[in-house]
Amino acid sequence: MERISALLRKEWRESLRNKMVLLGVAVLPLILVGTSIWMMKVGAGVDDPIGEIVLFNTSLMYFLLLPAIIPLAIAVYSIVGEKEQSTLEPLLATPLTDLEIFLGKALASVIPALLVNWASFGIFLLATRFLIGGVPIQTLTAPWLAAIFGLSPLLALFSVGVTMLVSSRASDARAAYQFSSFAILPALIPLIIYSTRQTLVDLRLIVLQGALLAAACAIILFFAIKVFRREQILTRWK
Amino acid sequence: MITAHGLTRRFGDRMAVDALDLEIPRGEVFGFLGPNGAGKTTTVRLLAALIAPSSGRATVAGRQLGAENQAIRASVGVLTETPGLYKRLSALDNLVFFGRLQAVPEPRAAAERYLRLFGLWDRRSEPAGSFSKGMRQKLAIARALLHEPEVVFLDEPTAGLDPEAAKSVRELIETLRSKERTIFLCTHNLAEADRLCDRIALFKTRLVTIGSPEGLREERYGRQTVVRLASESPGIERALDLPFIREVEARDGELVISLGDPASENPILVRRLVELGAEIQSVGELRVSLEEMYLDLMEGENGTD
Repeated sequence: MERISALLRKEWRESLRNKMVLLGVAVLPLILVGTSIWMMKVGAGVDDPIGEIVLFNTSLMYFLLLPAIIPLAIAVYSIVGEKEQSTLEPLLATPLTDLEIFLGKALASVIPALLVNWASFGIFLLATRFLIGGVPIQTLTAPWLAAIFGLSPLLALFSVGVTMLVSSRASDARAAYQFSSFAILPALIPLIIYSTRQTLVDLRLIVLQGALLAAACAIILFFAIKVFRREQILTRWK
Repeated sequence: MITAHGLTRRFGDRMAVDALDLEIPRGEVFGFLGPNGAGKTTTVRLLAALIAPSSGRATVAGRQLGAENQAIRASVGVLTETPGLYKRLSALDNLVFFGRLQAVPEPRAAAERYLRLFGLWDRRSEPAGSFSKGMRQKLAIARALLHEPEVVFLDEPTAGLDPEAAKSVRELIETLRSKERTIFLCTHNLAEADRLCDRIALFKTRLVTIGSPEGLREERYGRQTVVRLASESPGIERALDLPFIREVEARDGELVISLGDPASENPILVRRLVELGAEIQSVGELRVSLEEMYLDLMEGENGTD
């Protein structure tokens, strides 16, 4: 645990000094929170109830997009950055186990993604309360809350797993970032469906997506853990 | 401190390390020499428990390779070919991070000690990426030593260092030897290996030869005395009739004489040369450089490929 904690602290220290990572972690949430607040405000003034629901759903959907997108930059630079700096071998020469390295790298991306996402959601709730008296209760239903708090960790895990697999085969951070962005798209398709649905999001959909995501995460993480073996890293990674 | 028996590593069809046998005692500075692509890095990775052997067994710092890999990694320090530092982190943060991973009781104090030792303390807060090549190398060496490992693998420790810094690294290696640490030194700097190593191994996928630099020289070339003559003495090499002389060669005003024991035989040789009317300018022992011997042996090895 001590070693994972040391690795986490190192990863975050490095991320805080990396402009590309900071941009990826901070700018998108700012844009999406701003957009979702604006959409809520517009939605509140719309007479058409269906249009109102679509706007509300779309604004909430952003908080399922963020946990999938925020970890990309952190995970890419966490892996490709080590390759670029030739720091992998010294890291592997320590008593860290293969699993500890994997967990340290994965958590270093997942934890900030969730914290930033939930903090953004908190800011969004406060802002809408201040501007339009709060998110309408018929929109911010239990299924949405379940999605934002239950699906977010799965989306972040899926995104990190995919990015770690892609990064293990990439030697260029930008290429890894772009390829990972495409690779996580399948997990985001249900979100697009939610946002365009003219009815309220129901729990069955969320549970179904959660189950599919959990299965996908299990498969991706299984392969990611296999790829994160010293032997593989030193002899197979590019 | 390091033992290997039949240690072998293949990558597909390619043999990287072929049945390596080694016994390196505690406190020895062991030079591991060979051309690029000879398998030196693979050997270090095997012995540092970073990759698994295809066959064979080894112990490092008394721990069995394969069964006690984590303990081995806690007992060894590795300086890789490139410094491999986190460029955005400060020198101090780099060391403290590795200190924590190695469970150093007081990582900050240990980092301070090594930063001071290498003259980097005043720049401890600067990012490692802003350091010169030599400073980065020093920082990487500090990282390898931070947890006071029993065995230290050093891959080209003085590469890219200015003469002063290289000297301080060599002095550090001497200090480590005096502290009974075992040093496994991979280097292309043969003069450095000659100066520092108790024993050297010439390696090219398999062990070509192993021994002390002096022992290997003697074994291959015998011991030769060079007598520089002040004036030409034609035919003197044929007149030298001492029984202990194995071979005499005259070249460019010099006599190169192979002897069994120069310490006791040189005075007799000099006396006889004077009796024969030779005017001697100087007498010395011919010392084949490690570089010459290396090239000689490797040429022979290439011939057997």
